[in-house]
Amino acid sequence: MFKHNFIYTLKILGKNKVLIFWTFAFPIILGTFFFLAFSDIENNEKLDVFPIAIVENDNFNSRMGFKETFEVLSDDNNEDKLFDVSYVLEEDVALEMLENKDIVGYILVLDEPTVVVAKSGINETILQVTTDQILSHEKVLEDYIRKNGNSRLENFVKVMMDDYSYVLDNSNKNMSYTMVEYYTLIAMTCLYGGTLGLTALNQNLANMSQRGKRIEVSPSPKFKVVLSSILASFLISLIGLFLLFLFLVFLLKVDFGLFGGHVVLLAIVGNLAGLAIGVAIASCFKVKEGTKLGILLSVTMLGCFLAGMMGITMKYVVDKNVGWINMINPANLITDGFYSLYYYDTLTRYWWDLLGLLIFIGVMVIVSVLALRRNSYDSI
Amino acid sequence: MKKVIEVEHLTKKYKDFIAVSDLSFDVEEGEVLGLLGPNGSGKSTTINCLLSLLNYEDGIIKILGQVMSSTNYDVKKDIGVIFQDIAVFEELTVYENIDYFCGLYIEDKQLRKEYVIEAIKLVGLEDFQKFYPKQLSGGLLRRLNIACGIAHKPKIIFLDEPTVAVDPQSRENILAGILNLRKKGATILYTTHYMEEVEMICDRVIILDKGKIIASGSPLELKNLAKIEEKVTIEDISLKKTDLEKIKSLKNVEEVSYNKTTLIITYKKGQHNLPLLVEFLKKENLEYQRIFSERPTLNDVFLELTGKELRD
Repeated sequence: MFKHNFIYTLKILGKNKVLIFWTFAFPIILGTFFFLAFSDIENNEKLDVFPIAIVENDNFNSRMGFKETFEVLSDDNNEDKLFDVSYVLEEDVALEMLENKDIVGYILVLDEPTVVVAKSGINETILQVTTDQILSHEKVLEDYIRKNGNSRLENFVKVMMDDYSYVLDNSNKNMSYTMVEYYTLIAMTCLYGGTLGLTALNQNLANMSQRGKRIEVSPSPKFKVVLSSILASFLISLIGLFLLFLFLVFLLKVDFGLFGGHVVLLAIVGNLAGLAIGVAIASCFKVKEGTKLGILLSVTMLGCFLAGMMGITMKYVVDKNVGWINMINPANLITDGFYSLYYYDTLTRYWWDLLGLLIFIGVMVIVSVLALRRNSYDSI
Repeated sequence: MKKVIEVEHLTKKYKDFIAVSDLSFDVEEGEVLGLLGPNGSGKSTTINCLLSLLNYEDGIIKILGQVMSSTNYDVKKDIGVIFQDIAVFEELTVYENIDYFCGLYIEDKQLRKEYVIEAIKLVGLEDFQKFYPKQLSGGLLRRLNIACGIAHKPKIIFLDEPTVAVDPQSRENILAGILNLRKKGATILYTTHYMEEVEMICDRVIILDKGKIIASGSPLELKNLAKIEEKVTIEDISLKKTDLEKIKSLKNVEEVSYNKTTLIITYKKGQHNLPLLVEFLKKENLEYQRIFSERPTLNDVFLELTGKELRD
């Protein structure tokens, strides 16, 4: 009977066009959209070196820190080279270069350094922001020296540099916005498994459908029928995920690098979590199937929103103010697990997220079993 | 005869509303018992309680000598159910639907295949095996619904208004199928509010109203409960008040009702009333289009017992 129901549930779910669209086609369509929309952004993200001019007057030469920083940022041997700097002695020459569009802007140091540009634009902004940042650092150092003299100056500079290094060392150097979007897509697909679980379970419940009544009056134990239906929906959901991975890896050439296995493991557990939400909602709410689907989508979407899948800022806002919500939010546990693979060199956070998901699944299973344990209804 | 269904003092409430009140009856092996009553009389609730789909407040239900419960799989394997609403999967073909539901009872694949084919023949769906439910007409869909409930050859069959919203041809086919099942020895509990069906297929009838038994017996026994024995209807007749008075004074007349152009006369006794009436009409020069006589129906019995029609 178990196998019989399992095979027929596969057939029934497999022929449900709406479910198949959301499980198989929609993630692939969305993945294609991400590819088309974001890959160009990423390719254009690398900053081009652009020409600027600096009026090399006495004021400029007297600000050693400022001068040296620009020398570093225009050094051919520097990987992070930003500017091609032309040093001129007169402002008129720089102005003429600007008018001839030979440079993006120039820096003139009078009492304070001033950036002169001809128009607004990305390069113009970069020049302005970089200059402001150098001045800011210069000011911090000046303040320190004024208060503390030269004592332990070296240590202070080191601390400043260490702070900077900390951020750099703990983040992945190959950070990609598109990858984050693909992880989000996988997480969303995992949670869509809930609709399959909900639909599969609903068809077995006497208070939900006439078919359910017919199944419940049969001599097939409810436990076997329900379990085989859920397993069938899990398999279909996994096939959907598998197709998405094939599509991402072989067609869109997404490289999951060393963490491919971890991504797949988290996706499978995440998928189970999505399924568990669907099953729990189907078991606990005694409302029409459409209403149950509405509840499932609302819960899922709210979870995704709070997890920052629609704007990463929300994740930090929730983490900071009501952190416990994200600890029980499966959407957050999935995405956080993916992000942690991406951002950190260690897997500690990843494993915690995985454990959190397993606990969540356990709780959902207990809730579902308690709700499904009854065999007769007060009304149907 | 062996009792296969025994119900004692069954009471089911929906909050304060009593759907079934202190209901007791039994069904013998091979018998077709009809539960007759208007909508809301408690027929479907009774069946759902018998099948352990519904909890109930009081009473004992035994099927095949065993107390019925939702986990009594030994009893459940001998039960077939045809619900009022269509209970099939849109995603499966006619054959697959029957095979799926049969498979919940019969594990053996080969045996199941034989049973499925037999069920398809029984309901006359041989030409539609590969059709999907949405490709079937309402009548064919009802037949599929029945096949799904009886393919596993149950000993006891519960039929909950299986002919609702069915065309006359399909209804005849369905009723013929039920009679066929009866011939094969199945015990049937049949709920309906169509008295003609009950008269046609049931050995015994229980009339329910507001969750209570108001009468029971064979269709003939129940009809004998009626005070009237004959009902004569005359269509397209024009009458004066004096004519009506004269008709009322005729022999055996119980009641006369005249509505625009239709006259209905009920008689206490059922012999020679029609010829006497025709003679009277001729003598009084009263013209009419059609005249016909009927024996009392179960609907008349129900009307007498409750003051309302079965289909109200």
